[in-house]
Amino acid sequence: MIKKYSRYLPYFLIAVMLIWHSVLYAQQMRYPRPEFETQYTYPEYQYNYQRAPYWEYLDVAVLIAALSITSWLVIKKRSRQGIMWVSVFSLAYFGFYRQGCICAVGSIQNVSLALFNSDYSIPLSALLFFLIPLIFALFSGRVFCAGVCPLGAIQELTGFKKVKVNPKLEAVLGAIPYVYLGLAVLYSAVGSQFIICRYDPFVGIFRLGGPYTIIIFGALLLITGIYINRPYCRYLCPYGVLQGFFSRFSWKHLTITPAECRNCRLCEPSCPYGVILPSDNLKNTEVTEIGRKMKLIYGALILMMGLSLAYFFYNTAPLLARMDKRVSLAREIRLEKEKGIKAVSEAAQAFNESARTEEELFEEEVAVINRFRAGAPWVGLFLGLSLGIRFYRRIIRHPRTEYEPDRGRCVSCGKCFEYCPVKIKTE
Amino acid sequence: MKFSENQIRLFRNLSVVSGIFTMVIAFTMIMSLIQLKTSDPLEDPALKSIIEQFDKDPENADIAENVRSLDLIARKAYFAARWQLETGSYLLLAGAILFVVFQWLSTGQEKSARGKLPPKPQITEEKERSKKYLIVFSSVFFILAVISSFALRPLLPAPGEAKKGIRSEETGKASAVLPVPDGINYPNFRGEGSRGIAGGEGYPTDWDGNTGKNIKWKVPVPKFGKSSPVIWGDKLFLTGAEGSVFEVYCYDKNTGDLLWTGTGSDFPGASKDVPETDEESGMAIQTPAVNKDAVCAIFANGNLVAYDHNGNLLWAKNLGMPEHTYGYTSSLLIYNDILLVQYDSELRLSVIGFDVKSGKQLWETSRRGKPVNSSPALGMFNGIPQVIINGSPEVTAFDVMTGKELWTINGVVNDVAVSPAVNNNFVYVSANYEALLAIKPDKSGATVGWSDNTYTPDVSSPAATDEFLFISDGTGAIACYKADSKEKLWENYFNSSFYASPIVAGGMVYFLDRDGVMHIVKASATYELVSESSIGEDTDSTPAFSEKRIYIRGEKNLYCISAD
Repeated sequence: MIKKYSRYLPYFLIAVMLIWHSVLYAQQMRYPRPEFETQYTYPEYQYNYQRAPYWEYLDVAVLIAALSITSWLVIKKRSRQGIMWVSVFSLAYFGFYRQGCICAVGSIQNVSLALFNSDYSIPLSALLFFLIPLIFALFSGRVFCAGVCPLGAIQELTGFKKVKVNPKLEAVLGAIPYVYLGLAVLYSAVGSQFIICRYDPFVGIFRLGGPYTIIIFGALLLITGIYINRPYCRYLCPYGVLQGFFSRFSWKHLTITPAECRNCRLCEPSCPYGVILPSDNLKNTEVTEIGRKMKLIYGALILMMGLSLAYFFYNTAPLLARMDKRVSLAREIRLEKEKGIKAVSEAAQAFNESARTEEELFEEEVAVINRFRAGAPWVGLFLGLSLGIRFYRRIIRHPRTEYEPDRGRCVSCGKCFEYCPVKIKTE
Repeated sequence: MKFSENQIRLFRNLSVVSGIFTMVIAFTMIMSLIQLKTSDPLEDPALKSIIEQFDKDPENADIAENVRSLDLIARKAYFAARWQLETGSYLLLAGAILFVVFQWLSTGQEKSARGKLPPKPQITEEKERSKKYLIVFSSVFFILAVISSFALRPLLPAPGEAKKGIRSEETGKASAVLPVPDGINYPNFRGEGSRGIAGGEGYPTDWDGNTGKNIKWKVPVPKFGKSSPVIWGDKLFLTGAEGSVFEVYCYDKNTGDLLWTGTGSDFPGASKDVPETDEESGMAIQTPAVNKDAVCAIFANGNLVAYDHNGNLLWAKNLGMPEHTYGYTSSLLIYNDILLVQYDSELRLSVIGFDVKSGKQLWETSRRGKPVNSSPALGMFNGIPQVIINGSPEVTAFDVMTGKELWTINGVVNDVAVSPAVNNNFVYVSANYEALLAIKPDKSGATVGWSDNTYTPDVSSPAATDEFLFISDGTGAIACYKADSKEKLWENYFNSSFYASPIVAGGMVYFLDRDGVMHIVKASATYELVSESSIGEDTDSTPAFSEKRIYIRGEKNLYCISAD
């Protein structure tokens, strides 16, 4: 009898753990009883011990070690299994132990805030977390994405199936990280908010707590990632854009085959991200070079894209600024004043009880919008030029004679290794 | 890991169940979230309706019980929704993890079956397509930019709108010289620039409050306070407080008529809290400040008000309750159109500049150290008008126009209550039983020019001309130092101690002791007592001087002394 049902034991244990966890959680929800009767004296100070600074340097050391090992596994060892184990470690250390912070993805905001605000002093560890993965990308491609980034790791470990996304849809969705990067830099540069951290989908899972909407988003993203692998990395991650840019110029990069490609096409279905660039079929096809005149025209069109979007973003600055809490508060107070719509938010109540005048608030609103207006065109220019150059690269590209990874988009996960029939001794 | 067909089927079924469970939880959470965002238990229509009934019939016990029951139900529903949401997030996570695990078990890590491969893309087609996209997107973006120009440009503020106004237009440009005290206006605590120097001459030296000799008028002050009078034109201003009611008074300085009373405690955003203060200080110890447009007054709970000269409230705000062992006592200071507030609290230590007319905060600069009871004074060094604060432990100067810290130097540490005395060369600070310091600001900062510890005023603030430094202290001593050295020129002792600050006026120094006796001494290198006159009432307030008259606030009454 026991033997018959013993195989269900693990599921039973999981169910017990979950129920027990829920009971503990429910107990936390109970209201504390008012202290009317006992003479218990609450301790005057309750400190959370601050993490000693040297731990930050340990984080940096772990980052460098993990990146070095991953580089070796990707470039030399070509071990998918090894990359997976580094992912497990990164998820445990940078994800669950460090609770998603410090994080190279979020460090973009620290850097942009420091660049445009002289009164902000960026922590050295944040700067190093921003720079070191990019330096590694210059040497060995996106090895940070492969196994060190906890956001990538949690998706890598839960992506089991490989549903290929239509290339056109992939291209459209792939543009989102550029927009996200531009906006993240803009919002932090103007001192508004850190949107990457605010909308980090997995930090709620790492910390077992957070805004409900973000936990829902994170859980749904993980479930989506089972089929459409690494959705955050592909369609959202702003740091991936920078990684991709540096990776294009990398000294070494993951290769699908360890030797010469035989164009056997066996690797084609291996990549769930669709970043294996096939060799070109040049039979009966004449590839013509682009003339100088045409190059100038394309250059002008790219410039037009950049300038048009710069102008568009300049005009949309007040709309973008509405996400700023100072601007939204000023709008709420103005609506109450002009249209009688009662300002009910907590920020409005706090404002009404504060010493600040409406004039001060409205003046600050204009100042914030002006800062957005100064920064937004650069975001537009960046987006327009990025998209234009992307098209131009395809127009002028040379034919490929073998299968190769798209250096900008390949996250060096190594899933393609075992699909290549060419094997060499790695000793 | 190998599983049998049955096991894999079981995993698939479990993954479907956990997937459905996750989706249901997610849907429930979204609904709960919407409900939580849109409902407020206290705004429940049924509850509001029955509360209205109760308001009409407050004696009805049944309705009261119904209100309680409904209130409880509404709150329970609200907190149940919160509980569902917060517990749901854990269930959601658990469901997602189970789904992932079962998917992994049922799928395994097998390679995807190799199906029929699609034909390879043609490079020429890709190039043509990219050309087409480049043209289409550049055109679309151009059109988008043009449309946005018409649709969204009205939202943009005019360039530089936020920058204009504060300094150049509204507050005027900084003057290169300190305002010279005139014989009519006496705008701050200790007069112009809060330096203890009064303009004009011919002030009375002989009076008697008991007999009424040279007392032009005497009126009771409605509420208690130790703030000193300030004067603009023909109007004199004072503050008073009782309980949580704070007031600003405007008197006709010629007749003593109370022209108007303004509230300092009843305005939107006002604090009604009455902080614990030292017994002697009270809620209205801070002297108001006045200029041509407004009189500004602050009280010990951080209420700050500004009235025009006719008693119309211009603006009012609460700066936050100062947390202070002895209570917040700093007087206000006005320079041109900028109101300077020395804000001292355990939680926040700063100096703030406001536009007098609008109340708009122009700047706020944090200070270091601990809260003190001194008041700010105005100085002019290196051509920059600066507000100087005797803090603990630093004496610091801030640019009046921008709030920028100009210089700082370690000064005195003990209970600091003495305001700085300032002349054209030195800043003098003191703390009881510690030191009297003469600080010399220069282009690279500030240095201590000289120091002495013979006389160390505790409450009464010194006054300095370019020649002499006059002090009076809590022991009843008065003394005169050479301004540029620690050489003591003269000293004398009286039976009563001094809280009011000495004022130099018309070639004499007026020392008012706590018994209400004014000791008038010639402002010279040798001690020469001119006269001693009493108002016949205790006082701790510093007198005001205007047009050959002296105004003294006693414990209960306000006096106008005139020899005319």
